[in-house]
Amino acid sequence: MSASGKIMNCEDYREAIAADPSESFAGGAEHAAVCGSCSAYRAEMRALDDTITKALAIDVPELKIPDLPPIGEDDGNVVNMPFRRATRITTPAWIGIAASFALAAIIGVQFVGNGPESDRLLAETVLAHVDHEPWALKVTDVSVSAAQFERVVNPTIGTMDRNVGLVSYAQSCIINGNTIPHLIIQGEKGPVTLLLLPDEMVHGAVSLSGKSVNGVILPHGNGSIAIIGEREERIEELKRRVVDSVEWSI
Amino acid sequence: MSSNSVDLKRRERFDRVVGVLHRDLYRYAAWLCRDPGIAEEVVQETLLRAWKSLDALREDSAAKSWLLTIVRRENARYFARKRLETVDIDSLTPGQSAMLAESEDPNLATMRQAIFRLEDDYREPLVLQVLMGHSTKEIAELMSIKPGAVLTRLHRARIKLKDEVAKEAAA
Repeated sequence: MSASGKIMNCEDYREAIAADPSESFAGGAEHAAVCGSCSAYRAEMRALDDTITKALAIDVPELKIPDLPPIGEDDGNVVNMPFRRATRITTPAWIGIAASFALAAIIGVQFVGNGPESDRLLAETVLAHVDHEPWALKVTDVSVSAAQFERVVNPTIGTMDRNVGLVSYAQSCIINGNTIPHLIIQGEKGPVTLLLLPDEMVHGAVSLSGKSVNGVILPHGNGSIAIIGEREERIEELKRRVVDSVEWSI
Repeated sequence: MSSNSVDLKRRERFDRVVGVLHRDLYRYAAWLCRDPGIAEEVVQETLLRAWKSLDALREDSAAKSWLLTIVRRENARYFARKRLETVDIDSLTPGQSAMLAESEDPNLATMRQAIFRLEDDYREPLVLQVLMGHSTKEIAELMSIKPGAVLTRLHRARIKLKDEVAKEAAA
């Protein structure tokens, strides 16, 4: 019997045993007990796995520990936000009036500052990415499901307190080759884009400014967080809440 | 507690965690990037990042998944930086040749080459399952894919290896 309650047939069994020769799946042992052919296939798969295990066990060089810097030595550029417990954002007055309308036209911001080249490049990448997903910028009062949120903000990334705001969009996106959470929360003046960038360090807060929008890339631990909202959005208030809500896994 | 004492405790914890898992980290890195030299660099970067972020590791029992996640990210960073080409098995570096050096057992050498040739998407879950002892769920979380996709990849990986080995034996 398989996990779904059905009797396992030979095809199902062989697919399952090739994926998991330890036969930890439900119904496997029962099927093999009454099917000689599949029992032989299992033995073949286990023999194959023995060889795979030995082949993967390559020689390992002696452990070399790199020079480990004193903790705090190179944390000078990190903005340490004062602690503030995340609170549920108040429902914006305009939610419910407008069903949903795209705000793509507001995007078109520029990097402001004299930071290093790497910060400028990251700012450009962030803005290009936001520009390419304008459909996400909707005014809505519908939040993404908890399951979708957890798929995107998963344990390999870290944790985020959902109460930072109404999360209306959550997708895994690729920035500089890394999978990152792209979230939209409903701010007081409109949709606010959050890109959680655990792999992207900046040397200090990177301001992003435009005619209609207001944003920043904030250093956070060994990564950073991009926050881009409408011009009138109270970013200062928002960034404290966002930074306090995010904790990286690494 | 003085800062020296805190640093000492931190270093003791780091050495304990890394000392136990170093072999796994290196082998995972080596099979991810298929180059012993790059694997050593990736592991060094991993250790540095782990040292800086050690406070984020709440339980030592979670250290393996935590460190493998860092290895995975450092490997991606390395290749993003260097923009390296895909490895061609016919033009291996000396390090790669050493990694595939024929073992006394010809079946093992054949298998090692077959694993080396596997697509990244198939090789990685196989390494995580067979070498690291990860469950399907753990592999899915690490690779940000669904458990069903992990099982499909594992199934296909083994069928490919089985076919390759059989082809080699027939030749």
